[in-house]
Amino acid sequence: MLTCGRFLSTSSAATASFSPLRTLTRSLLRRPHPRLLSSASAAAATTAVEPDTKGSGGGASGGGGGALRPQWKASIDFKWIRDNRDTVADNIRSRNSAANLDLVLELYDQYLALQKVRSSQCAFCSNWGSFLIMLTMATISNYDRWQEVERLRAERNAVANKMKGKLDPSVRQALVEEGRILFAGKNLKEALTGLEEDLVELTDKLQLEAQSIPNTTHPDVPVGGEESSVIRKQVGSQRSFGFAIKDHLQLGKELDLFDFDAAAEVSGSKFYYLKNEAVLLEMALVNWAISEVSKKGFTPLITPEIVRSSVVEKCGFQPRAQNTQVYSIENSDQCLIGTAEIPVGGIHMDSILLESTLPLKYVAYSHCFRTEAGAAGAATRLCLVKLPSLCPFILNRGLYRVHQFSKVEMFIFCRPEESDKWHEELITIEEDLYASLGLHFKTLDMATGDLGAPAYRKFDIEAWMPGLERYGEISSASNCTDYQSRRLGIRYRPAPSEPPLPSAKKGKAAGGPTQFVHTLNATAVAVPRLIVCILENFQQEDGSIVIPEPLRPFMGGVEVLSPKSK
Amino acid sequence: MLTCGRFLSTSSATTASFSPLRTLTRSLLRRPHPRLLSSASAAAITTAVEPDTKGGGASGGGGDAVRPQWKASIDFKWIRDNRDTVAENIRSRNSAANLDLVLELYDQYLALQKEVERLRAERNAVANKMKGKLDPSVRQALVDEGKNLKEALTGLEEDLVELTDKLQLEAQSIPNTTHPDVPVGGEESSVIRKQVGSQRSFGFTIKDHLQLGKELDLFDFDAAAEVSGSKFYYLKNEAVLLEMALVNWAISEVSKKGFTPLITPEIVRSSVVEKCGFQPRAQNTQVYSIENSDQCLIGTAEIPVGGIHMDSILLESTLPLKYVAYSHCFRTEAGAAGAATRGLYRVHQFSKVEMFIFCRPEESDKWHEELITIEEDLYASLGLHFKTLDMATGDLGAPAYRKFDIEAWMPGLERYGEISSASNCTDYQSRRLGIRYRPAPSEPPLPSAKKGKAAGGPTQFVHTLNATAVAVPRLIVCILENFQQEDGSIVIPEPLRPFMGGLEVLSPKSK
Repeated sequence: MLTCGRFLSTSSAATASFSPLRTLTRSLLRRPHPRLLSSASAAAATTAVEPDTKGSGGGASGGGGGALRPQWKASIDFKWIRDNRDTVADNIRSRNSAANLDLVLELYDQYLALQKVRSSQCAFCSNWGSFLIMLTMATISNYDRWQEVERLRAERNAVANKMKGKLDPSVRQALVEEGRILFAGKNLKEALTGLEEDLVELTDKLQLEAQSIPNTTHPDVPVGGEESSVIRKQVGSQRSFGFAIKDHLQLGKELDLFDFDAAAEVSGSKFYYLKNEAVLLEMALVNWAISEVSKKGFTPLITPEIVRSSVVEKCGFQPRAQNTQVYSIENSDQCLIGTAEIPVGGIHMDSILLESTLPLKYVAYSHCFRTEAGAAGAATRLCLVKLPSLCPFILNRGLYRVHQFSKVEMFIFCRPEESDKWHEELITIEEDLYASLGLHFKTLDMATGDLGAPAYRKFDIEAWMPGLERYGEISSASNCTDYQSRRLGIRYRPAPSEPPLPSAKKGKAAGGPTQFVHTLNATAVAVPRLIVCILENFQQEDGSIVIPEPLRPFMGGVEVLSPKSK
Repeated sequence: MLTCGRFLSTSSATTASFSPLRTLTRSLLRRPHPRLLSSASAAAITTAVEPDTKGGGASGGGGDAVRPQWKASIDFKWIRDNRDTVAENIRSRNSAANLDLVLELYDQYLALQKEVERLRAERNAVANKMKGKLDPSVRQALVDEGKNLKEALTGLEEDLVELTDKLQLEAQSIPNTTHPDVPVGGEESSVIRKQVGSQRSFGFTIKDHLQLGKELDLFDFDAAAEVSGSKFYYLKNEAVLLEMALVNWAISEVSKKGFTPLITPEIVRSSVVEKCGFQPRAQNTQVYSIENSDQCLIGTAEIPVGGIHMDSILLESTLPLKYVAYSHCFRTEAGAAGAATRGLYRVHQFSKVEMFIFCRPEESDKWHEELITIEEDLYASLGLHFKTLDMATGDLGAPAYRKFDIEAWMPGLERYGEISSASNCTDYQSRRLGIRYRPAPSEPPLPSAKKGKAAGGPTQFVHTLNATAVAVPRLIVCILENFQQEDGSIVIPEPLRPFMGGLEVLSPKSK
């Protein structure tokens, strides 16, 4: 291997070469796959098919397709995907994912073949070996004969075996002739350099394509669209009011708690100022949540809110997609976070954790920023005036959907076998928090169609918002298993199953190979939605708001928000 | 007038006109000013001199690239009438503003305006003459004359717009006036107003906040460098509680003094940042901009709070409007380097509680005193040793009329470091943000007077003031370094304890 590598790297003909072999491979890479063309997903096609505007000369390439080059690599278990093709295909289907499994597997096979070819070089490391590489390449390059690859590979192996021994000079001569015809006497080194570059390009394509395959799904997750989600638990019931109730916007206006109008001028629509007691309420919610959750052994964090785009991607978000939720910073590779999940997930990026430190449990406070691109904005204002209860965009009103908000987020890194248990723990913490506030809510086991790519299973909590006249999501708890850790590079080394002997040297790095940890995230408090709940559920006939008891110690003992006397 | 308008708009000769008057004005606009060429400030030249690549004939109405997005209500007449004072002020503040150019542009503007008005009057006169019955030859002469006047006017009006833009851009860089008591000179000329406490003498080898924080597991700069970049950080464990306590305590203390609590947007339009006197588009700007938008991240809550009353006329009875605002702040810290950037001292993101006041002009000095007193009381109650400085002219940003800084002793860093700043911006920001009030009549209204009647004189610009209540990371530096004990533990200042669940000491975790 090393010898071959050096051979390639010292090639003086690496630049400005025209390699028919390489051109063939390139055209293979570039040719649209029939399945792709019929695919419904235009986006998938875009990532898969190299744009034709790229010159086909192949000479000017500086090493791999620039624009489509992934900035980082996920440790995707391709072998597992191939060996579980049907399961993966089924999963992709049930999760409405745009991932193209066939293309991934095809690219993977090509990748394996190329690699095999490259390593077979070592077995011979002679012109004969190189010739066989090219022969195989020519075969691979011919897509129409793709089905024959396996057979030809076997043939090639037979020939190779023959060549190990004495080869009949006439057979040898025939092979050489065939090679001359095929490659018109071009320099072998050039061809091999091209091969290396193609391998890089193929690896990139495979990586990009495979990154869109969603996580596997917990067997208990209901299959179907959002309506198939199953209620796990229900707490409380809709309060019956003996008076005409108001929504949080009206209540907030009367209590002088928000200013959306000034924020629209200063920042844009869906921004807001919190004023007066709303500030105290936000602080109380944050302080209370950190206090309650840290009691359960979670380490408090305040996180950066500007992070590298690559970290956002590794957590499973798409900062560069069209209609992205992510704000990017101009002239940099940085973004604003949409959730503390990103910086907390990143805190152990590219590291091997001690098993004894697991689980690592964090409770992180941050501001979150979301473009809410695609969330119907103008329609909100238009149709709400007359028939609020019928408005499909009602949930975008007021504080419900905003560009910036405070959130306290829980995050756990744990051993794989414990992630289901910790998922239960997280949803229980959430339920206890909201129950203690006196909210009426239900917990849902979200259906496959509603899971984002990273989630193996997701529990949402939807609370009753009487002013908005519906249930609205106030939190979400996801088990992402090894989806994020494979991208973020977070592993641990399992301890040996037997306890070490007392005489064993301390600090010895025993144990098996490293494994990826599992990650889980869950909302403790998403401030604006809880303000909606508190205002709307605990409003009194006189327009005052009763503060839930657990929050009062964090508000200097305030029990009721009352309209100011004029 | 209406008739003229219609008459003019149907004229077929509006295009491809050649107006000698206009050409003259244009060449005047384009000519580099001699003083400008000798000016040290290359930036000023760029904004002042129109690039020659712009053809003279094809103007579609004003120089696009240098077009201001908004207009400050600058009192040009006052500037002209106080030329010497303004020039001296610019000099003592080391400002790059070019007063001569502003005044020249202003004179040109006045002349051009006069000319435009003269032509308009002439055009109206011609139009009036055409109302009666006229001999066809006379009418034709009038039509021709009207056409010529209209062409000239159109060109001049475009030039007027362009000149107004230039004048605006150039004048925006003139700094605020300066309080007469402000010491003139560079930073070293700043005068100590007050000093509280003294440097604590430690009977042991002290550590800086980075080392203390590492031992107490309070920060993670390394992970943040990977995830976000250098000068970012995670706060961990008790540091989180300390930040929350500082914020809660500051809001609580300041709101007791009649300040309205706010939590503000942290993404704002770039124009609002500019109107507050910051330069989001300058080279080496401190401001992070959002990609594909006209928005920025705030570097201080001063910006969204200043903007909360943008373009409005406030009731005098509501003044002063006092706010205490909590926000995260984001700064690129472009160009910042050196030893003082260690650890939490200079970072890209931090939490801050900021005070802001909108008041009547005659009261801004009084409120400035009030703000610095609140700051001093806050830091004294934490037990910090600090001094308050009346900052010298060379250290004032363009918006400030006067600025008081507080520098606290940081024993680990072995220096005094700025922990807060209180500025009186008088009408600098309000003239840009468009915030006025209508003074009430000096006599109390008669009991019989109709209620709600909009009495009083013409509107005036309010004065704005801003002052730091708590800039969290620098106070964490102070608390850790000043209140460290020999065993590496930190004594929490008493006022913060109720906001940390009664926690009195941060102790190293038992291993």
